[in-house]
Amino acid sequence: MKQKYAITVDDLTVAYNYKPVLWDIDLAIPESVLMCIVGPNGAGKSTLIKAILGIIKPIAGTVSIFGKSYKQQRSLVAYVPQKGSVDWDFPTTALDVVMMGTYGSLGWIKRPGQKEKKASLEALEKVGMLPFKNRQISQLSGGQQQRIFLARALVQNASIYFMDEPFQGVDATTEKAIINILKELRKAGKTVVVVHHDLQTVPEYFDWVTFLNVKKIATGPVKDIFNDDNLTKTYGINYKVSVQE
Amino acid sequence: MNSAQITIQIIVALVAVACAIPGTFLVLRKMSLISDAISHSILLGIVIGFFIVGDTSSPLLIVLAAFAGIVTVFLVEFIQKTGLVKEDTAIGLVFPALFSIGVILIAKNANDVHLDIDSVMVGDLSLAPFDPLLINCTEGIADSCINLGPKAIWVIGTILVITLVLLFAFFKELKVSTFDAGLAAALGFSPVIMHYGLMTVSSITIVGAFDAVGPILVVALMIAPAATAYLFTKDLKKMLVLACFFGVFSAISGYWLAHLLDASISGSMTTVLAILFLLVYEPIITSIVIGLATTTSVIFYQYYQQLLTETGFAQFALSEKISRVFAEFVLLDYVTIMLVGGVCAVLLIYILPKRGVIYGYYKVRQQKTEIMLLVFLLHIRNHTEESERHVKHLNEHINWQRLRSDSVVELALKNNMITVDNDIISLTEKGEEFTEKAIDYIITNKDTEIEEMKDDFFLFRG
Repeated sequence: MKQKYAITVDDLTVAYNYKPVLWDIDLAIPESVLMCIVGPNGAGKSTLIKAILGIIKPIAGTVSIFGKSYKQQRSLVAYVPQKGSVDWDFPTTALDVVMMGTYGSLGWIKRPGQKEKKASLEALEKVGMLPFKNRQISQLSGGQQQRIFLARALVQNASIYFMDEPFQGVDATTEKAIINILKELRKAGKTVVVVHHDLQTVPEYFDWVTFLNVKKIATGPVKDIFNDDNLTKTYGINYKVSVQE
Repeated sequence: MNSAQITIQIIVALVAVACAIPGTFLVLRKMSLISDAISHSILLGIVIGFFIVGDTSSPLLIVLAAFAGIVTVFLVEFIQKTGLVKEDTAIGLVFPALFSIGVILIAKNANDVHLDIDSVMVGDLSLAPFDPLLINCTEGIADSCINLGPKAIWVIGTILVITLVLLFAFFKELKVSTFDAGLAAALGFSPVIMHYGLMTVSSITIVGAFDAVGPILVVALMIAPAATAYLFTKDLKKMLVLACFFGVFSAISGYWLAHLLDASISGSMTTVLAILFLLVYEPIITSIVIGLATTTSVIFYQYYQQLLTETGFAQFALSEKISRVFAEFVLLDYVTIMLVGGVCAVLLIYILPKRGVIYGYYKVRQQKTEIMLLVFLLHIRNHTEESERHVKHLNEHINWQRLRSDSVVELALKNNMITVDNDIISLTEKGEEFTEKAIDYIITNKDTEIEEMKDDFFLFRG
């Protein structure tokens, strides 16, 4: 019997100004895994996520979410962009940013009401940011901003979560808190895809890994393929990492 | 006030609100200069429209002008996307090109059309009340038309209503695509549609405001109220409301300033906007400068008048207009002038947001005092023995200057944090609690507990 995949990517090629940044990517991500994408700077990790989400238009290839196109399955997907991709001086509060997560299910024109507010407050509580709900977002620390972004994704109540470098510039406590929430999501049967940089923590945090450097190097369970061979192929230098058993 | 004056004020107020709404989003999207580009290249649209219909009052001119604005935005993005030049350079390349095509077309083909440079560059409102919208005209019969009132009100009013309807309908979409375009795209709210929608509304607004304020000052009306409101508040809805308020305020007071000085309405409006921005940006210095400038000019004027009557050099007398203005409005005695000026300045400093150089110094000083207070309270808390808690002891043991230790003790007493009994200091319950919380904050850096303390202490505001 064929295994059910949450995300399948076929022959995906993305180019900026006719220069390919992703070349012929084939990827099948099973349901209910916590997967990280690793690769050097400029490997196209963020681009892969953006192409799957239709934010960037690929020049070739198809993406399907549970067997259908992303446009049809939009409500099943939540996305956490890089923290640095937005202007944190924007005049709004933490609660308001989390409420933006509910906009997708509301559709055009309709305004968020009490139901959306309650869901947003619950999401804030989950990430431990409830006391800061009325804080102006520029007054939050980097870790708190990342938690707000996570809460915004949680409130979407999706089946697949994409996160672009959620651990960038956060302290150890926040990193632990975030990974615990991600692990809970996987336990609840959700699929989580994370762009990750810290190779040391890969075996501890994730159970599935994709090596990417413009082309796909390897993808599979961490315990099978997270080895020096693949790391060397991806990063181009002799890489040694001690995998803890 | 006569009806023409009221009409002009209604027009400027409508223009101000219509500009402030898209302006707010332009400021937040860091696209302020796009409005400058649009306001210039619409000339091309107007000229082409004029060649097609041969009439300057046709609605087609507005449509084509707005279209020229959108073409500008599109071209800027197209050039920028090549990656060869940055956005500001792209703007600088596109709009002069379109503008100059318009200028050449006028020079080659429409030399006989009267185009007053002044009224094109800064707008001309003084005749707006006498240009009515006429409908149902029967050809050949004079006075057969129904007069609907000044045309400018209808044009800008329609634009404002459309803007407001779109704002209310798509507020959520505008907000999310402005804050986080990536998320907006992932949620299915195409940021491209929102972007071009906003650009279309901006273009149409600029075309509508063109007559009233001209292409240069329309930029000020879009950007300055929004920028001022941005300094004032950290809430998008409040920012929109405040931007509209600042726009209308400067429009109306700019009108009266123009009336007083017998100068251009749009120029005065922009001057008021600039002063407003400065007031919010640097309230203390600006208040003092404006207060000083007005009082000295009034006093100097009175002194000058006195000198004139004594020496009799009539040829040096100020113009009649200026004399009348001063005589009507400010011929008061020195004390009243200074008193009113002082009260206004203090009031402004109090209500305006706290920022600027002087306030910065004050804040640093205050923080220094507070950290001293905390060190002092900690010392008292850590030492139970009386010898360590003696008032005189502070100078020796904490190694402070006498003056500073006195002021710290005073501050702590004022806040009911300590009691002094026979020169022996002990913490009150409030002082104990405060020290506990502060230490907790400094160690754990968790600021949930001290939310309420933030209002009283600079130290914890970060």
